[in-house]
Amino acid sequence: MKEYELFIGPQHPGVTGNMMYHLWIDGDTVTKAECNVGYLHRGFEKLMESRSWMQNVPLVCRICVPEPDVNEMAYAMAVEQLMDWEVPERASYIRVIVLELARIAAHLMSIGSYAGSLGIYTLPQWALGDRDYILDIFEQLTGARVYHIYIWPGGVRWDMPEGLPKLIEKTLSYIEKRLKLYDDVLFRNRVFFDRAAGIGVIPKNKAIGWGVTGPNLRACGYGYDTRKLEPYAVYDEIDFKVVKYPELGDFEVISDGCDAYTRMIVRRLEIDQSISIVRQALRKMPEGEHIIKHPNWLKWKAPAGYAFKRVESSKGEYGYFVVSDGSSKPVRIHVRGPSYTHGVNVAETILKGANMADVSQILFSLDVCPPDIER
Amino acid sequence: MKYEDWNKISRIASRKSLWVLHFCTGCGAIELPPVMTSRYDMERFGMGPMATPRQADVLLITGYLTVKTLKRVVNVYEQMQSPKYVISFGSCPINGGMYWDSYNTVKRLDRYLPVDVYVGGCMPRPEGVMNAFLKLMELIDEGKARGWEKYQKYYEQYKRNQKMAFNFGGEENEGA
Amino acid sequence: MKALELIEKGEEMHGRAYIKSDRDEVSSIIKKLKENGFDHFVMLSCIDWIDENEFELVYHLWSYEYKEHVMVSVRLPRDSPSIGSMHGLFPQIETYEREVHEMYGVDFEGNSRLTPFLLDGWRDIPPMRKDFDSKKFAEDVFDNIPEIKEEEDEGI
Repeated sequence: MKEYELFIGPQHPGVTGNMMYHLWIDGDTVTKAECNVGYLHRGFEKLMESRSWMQNVPLVCRICVPEPDVNEMAYAMAVEQLMDWEVPERASYIRVIVLELARIAAHLMSIGSYAGSLGIYTLPQWALGDRDYILDIFEQLTGARVYHIYIWPGGVRWDMPEGLPKLIEKTLSYIEKRLKLYDDVLFRNRVFFDRAAGIGVIPKNKAIGWGVTGPNLRACGYGYDTRKLEPYAVYDEIDFKVVKYPELGDFEVISDGCDAYTRMIVRRLEIDQSISIVRQALRKMPEGEHIIKHPNWLKWKAPAGYAFKRVESSKGEYGYFVVSDGSSKPVRIHVRGPSYTHGVNVAETILKGANMADVSQILFSLDVCPPDIER
Repeated sequence: MKYEDWNKISRIASRKSLWVLHFCTGCGAIELPPVMTSRYDMERFGMGPMATPRQADVLLITGYLTVKTLKRVVNVYEQMQSPKYVISFGSCPINGGMYWDSYNTVKRLDRYLPVDVYVGGCMPRPEGVMNAFLKLMELIDEGKARGWEKYQKYYEQYKRNQKMAFNFGGEENEGA
Repeated sequence: MKALELIEKGEEMHGRAYIKSDRDEVSSIIKKLKENGFDHFVMLSCIDWIDENEFELVYHLWSYEYKEHVMVSVRLPRDSPSIGSMHGLFPQIETYEREVHEMYGVDFEGNSRLTPFLLDGWRDIPPMRKDFDSKKFAEDVFDNIPEIKEEEDEGI
């Protein structure tokens, strides 16, 4: 059988964005895969070196498009570490609420896109419609639906308006009711069991060595979550469970883990945990200031040093490495996106031997987001 | 039936069934799924997504374009059949937007492709996107959406500009 | 900190262990850290200290067991930066080295896949170096592309 070269190109509904996979196939099986990115490269890190510390805040949130708040959070934490600022407690609670709502929205989008790759087109319509109600909450709180520019180094930009806790509670109860419908359509569907179990397996003993993080790692059986390992904001005061294989709640365990089935079930259960975190944070939130009084931002100078801060996003571990030499502009900011390892090396390895019809499903279950890879 | 009447009927048919090409070129593509799904439903206007350029009518440039993507977008645009329309989202195709000093993004889109409707914002809201679609339908009705004819007429100028962008201002690349 | 106990040099910086090493010992340090619990390779960064005429490569590692983050730093001369590749230890280092090679021009001996990763048809100096002016490049290249001149008699 001759080998056939294919490009699953940038213009394709089966890739998770603007990237390309170069495949060599033999009959129906993929024998080799190469990832080709760079279609979204804006040179962020170069742009950030010529702007001051505060001017980078609107730039930073545009790195990860489906979930921009984690970038703002990690950047703000790194700058606060260099400048040695202490964030007021009310601001930390508001940050937790914003991050968890962003996580719910990103997981809904990922579940919807995954179902679309299987051919179950009802779920993208539902999931993206429900995600819009969360974007309405963001619009009331920050003024914009997608790019919020709300988490600043030192706190949050303004306080929560009156009536927002009621709106959040109403949206969360609505989403809880809708999740039962999603279970019937996707997660307890015979099609899902047959098509997703045992597909796209990451070998368990190699997962950490390959740099897999986030829900993909927890689906392999390791219960590692940055919110528990290195707690930031007020996650150490909130009670939540880390969802990992094989504790899959009410859902059946039909495989050995690390496959597309387990990854999607982990994401579905993390939505439940996030809803519980937001409710606890709303109850426990104290009164107080929402931002520290910092000096005029035109004159910020960060002391020299190296700071690394990590945040748990819905896709994995986001890291920011910020280097300063004491001046008003950064020397180097390096962003580590979770899809850097998932989309390039892990995908190239696990696509070998896969069936052609499963390539799209594997990429969506890994939740590869191309702007993370190339910033 | 006169030629003008036939044109009018074909324009009515065209504007009531615009098929949008599924290509997420930049960060503005995040506000496209809400437009396509049940909340801001664009299908009630007859618009639906289409996977292949051969059968699509509208090309959406959602946000900035890098040089690498521009090569593929030009390919895709030339594969679409006339009449075809281009809508550009955001402030990046207008004047460079947030990435005005970047070494890899193309700053002004209308030097490389003919654009029919611009939508402002960063990113434009779904209501803004719907407004742009309705404006495009109005322009088609009046016969003013002629981007594809402009591309055919000034083909050498567009090609010269595209080549200058692909080579980053230098000489022709072998095997580019 | 566990990392500072394993490698008996280095200091603590903002809660992270920071180890300065030379070109020749970097590989053995990272191997020793990997065998002792630091099994997650986070990333490989490069900093251009143009005033000191040096590149600094920083290898970040994390241990899930000890919950510690280590930064191993190497300085290379700016005129001819080259170091041995470490993709035998962690497979994803291959991609990081590819990007540092493209953006800074550092050569990694032993990495056979140093092909262009993000840029297509680039022919200037590596863009992340400090002597490359991005704004001037954007003005010279993109702003000079002329507009489409339409003819006067546009009677449609």
